[in-house]
Amino acid sequence: MTEIRLANVTKTYAGGQTAVDAVDLTIHDGEFFVLLGPSGCGKSTTLRMIAGLEPISSGDLFIGERRMNEVDPKDRDLAFVFQNYALFPHLTVKGNLTFGMKLRGVPGPEQERRLAEVTVMLGLAPYLDRKPGQLSGGQRQRVALGRALLRDPVAFLLDEPLSNLDAKLRAQMRTELVKLHRRVGRTIIHVTHDQIEAMTMADRICIMHDGKVAQVGAPMEVYRNPADTFVATFTGSPPMNLVQGRLENGAVHFAEATLPLDARTGAGEVTVGFRPEDLSLAALPNRLPIQASVVAVETLGADAILVASLAGGQEIGMRVAADTQLEPGSPVSVHLDPNRLRLFDRQTGKAIARMA
Amino acid sequence: MICVGAATFAAAAPTLRAGPPAVDGQPSPQPEDKLFMTAAIAQRDRWFGFAMTLPGLFALVLVVLFPILFTLWTSTSDFTLLKPSNDAFVGLSHYTQAFATPEFRHALSVTLAFVVAVVILEFLVGFAVALALDKVEHGKAVYYLILLFPLLMNPIVVGLIWKMFLHPTLGIVNYVLSLVGIPPVDWLGVPDNAFWTVVAVDIWHQVSFMIVLLLAGLASLPKEPYEAARLEGAGTIRCFFWITLPLMRPVIVVTLLIRLIFAVKTYDIIYIMTRGGPGQATELVSYYIYRRAFVGLDVSQASAMAVILLLAVLALTAWLHRYMRSLAQ
Repeated sequence: MTEIRLANVTKTYAGGQTAVDAVDLTIHDGEFFVLLGPSGCGKSTTLRMIAGLEPISSGDLFIGERRMNEVDPKDRDLAFVFQNYALFPHLTVKGNLTFGMKLRGVPGPEQERRLAEVTVMLGLAPYLDRKPGQLSGGQRQRVALGRALLRDPVAFLLDEPLSNLDAKLRAQMRTELVKLHRRVGRTIIHVTHDQIEAMTMADRICIMHDGKVAQVGAPMEVYRNPADTFVATFTGSPPMNLVQGRLENGAVHFAEATLPLDARTGAGEVTVGFRPEDLSLAALPNRLPIQASVVAVETLGADAILVASLAGGQEIGMRVAADTQLEPGSPVSVHLDPNRLRLFDRQTGKAIARMA
Repeated sequence: MICVGAATFAAAAPTLRAGPPAVDGQPSPQPEDKLFMTAAIAQRDRWFGFAMTLPGLFALVLVVLFPILFTLWTSTSDFTLLKPSNDAFVGLSHYTQAFATPEFRHALSVTLAFVVAVVILEFLVGFAVALALDKVEHGKAVYYLILLFPLLMNPIVVGLIWKMFLHPTLGIVNYVLSLVGIPPVDWLGVPDNAFWTVVAVDIWHQVSFMIVLLLAGLASLPKEPYEAARLEGAGTIRCFFWITLPLMRPVIVVTLLIRLIFAVKTYDIIYIMTRGGPGQATELVSYYIYRRAFVGLDVSQASAMAVILLLAVLALTAWLHRYMRSLAQ
């Protein structure tokens, strides 16, 4: 079992600014773990600290049982794939792939055998004699992956490896990465700002915000039960609707609607959250009707987003059928599934315990 | 001229056109008309451009092309300052004679030794300093300023400073050496000493050129390959030979070539410090040419030698140009 564990890991730069703030994480053996967050949230720094490319300011990093803080990057037995691939421009694909093996003194026949294995796996055989400059983005990406695979490491660290590819290739590489993960069975820590990447590939997602861990969990758990309003709006497209509401007399009041709560006591200002797909135009049983007026219908092809304005002027998005025809300005009644409603503290943004 | 050109086009236009007849005697606007108009305007612009650049071109011809052509002419005549009226055409005889002159051949060999020594040593010192400076985080500007000082100085000034520093009896260098018990050295009076002294002064003067260029090259190298290599376990030495050196190749070649071209033409330091002496120990080819022309007054012979030097420099420049073009592709 080679678990990767971060205990209270902090990164502070010379200027005094904190990039990563007391992060606790445990990444299980063989897991596809995604670090997700907007740029500047500290996710890449966290990854680079795990790799040993950045020194850890305080806290401990364990790989297996061993504390790795001061261990040289090459002895951590990790492979890193850089966002811009970091291929050696003066070497051929073959030279790039065998660079590490040569350095570690792997015998020639063994080098050839492993090289052949990886080139077949990644379909790189026709390009072995080309230089990185003569390859497309996707091919370079595969060379970078190949270089990582040839290390046969405990874990693969991928720093936004798909962000330089065009949309179509990115979708294709997502699938390939998942397949690859299944095949090699090693831990992958994948850093991305793209929530679709995170949702589609991850076993577990860690969402980071301002250097802190906002939430860790399986993709659907993070999606359904965001720990705070940041996670709620960072995941999902369009994001979760957040509406101002008030908790009073065992019920939540928002936008002229009132929803009685079972076991909740207390009173105060709250933010009410619900996802665009938790609303319907049809009055299904047990749904809470809310009055709104149509602002626009944005057709996406497979479906459409109805933008509606609630009493009080707050706008919400709602997923509707693609052929929905509604006049802007006309009144509409939307129906909310009360079980999917989430409440957040207005001040802290933190989720208030789940509803029954 | 301009008007005539435009008028010709206008006259040619109707005969070429096969459009509908003109309504009121005037030709109706046609796409072809526009085309002729633009062609005429382009033509006029070209002439205007010529006219505006003409004074500059004239000045260039006067100060650059004329002296070169004049040198070419004198090199093929038997003109000397002793007999200014002598200007009979003698063909390439001065060129063959140049290579037959032992002093010229000697000057060429001294120049070759000087250039090789200066370029190699400056490169090694420059690269070492650039590598060290590349890692500096604080006060880089101060280092730069200090390093650039020699480069900003006039070579004559540099020569004079060092001539005084290295004076056998009055110079500070020998004084400092005497403090630690080393007997005075005749830096410029002994042939071997003089050659290496001149080389050292040139290094002092020009090494910052290498440092600045190589430093710029180092700063522009991508960071990620080094990180990737570090993860693979490459140490500093390996990183240097496996990554830095191959990636720096273009910068290195260009720097070496530029320095080579300038080193071949070195003149001022020699003139101030040694006058080519002692004997001919430091007689570089450009100084020898000067001596031949203005001390020996044999202008034609010196011209031929100057043309030979020019061709050598041209060849180096062409090489540099071609290399840089190949890089751009």
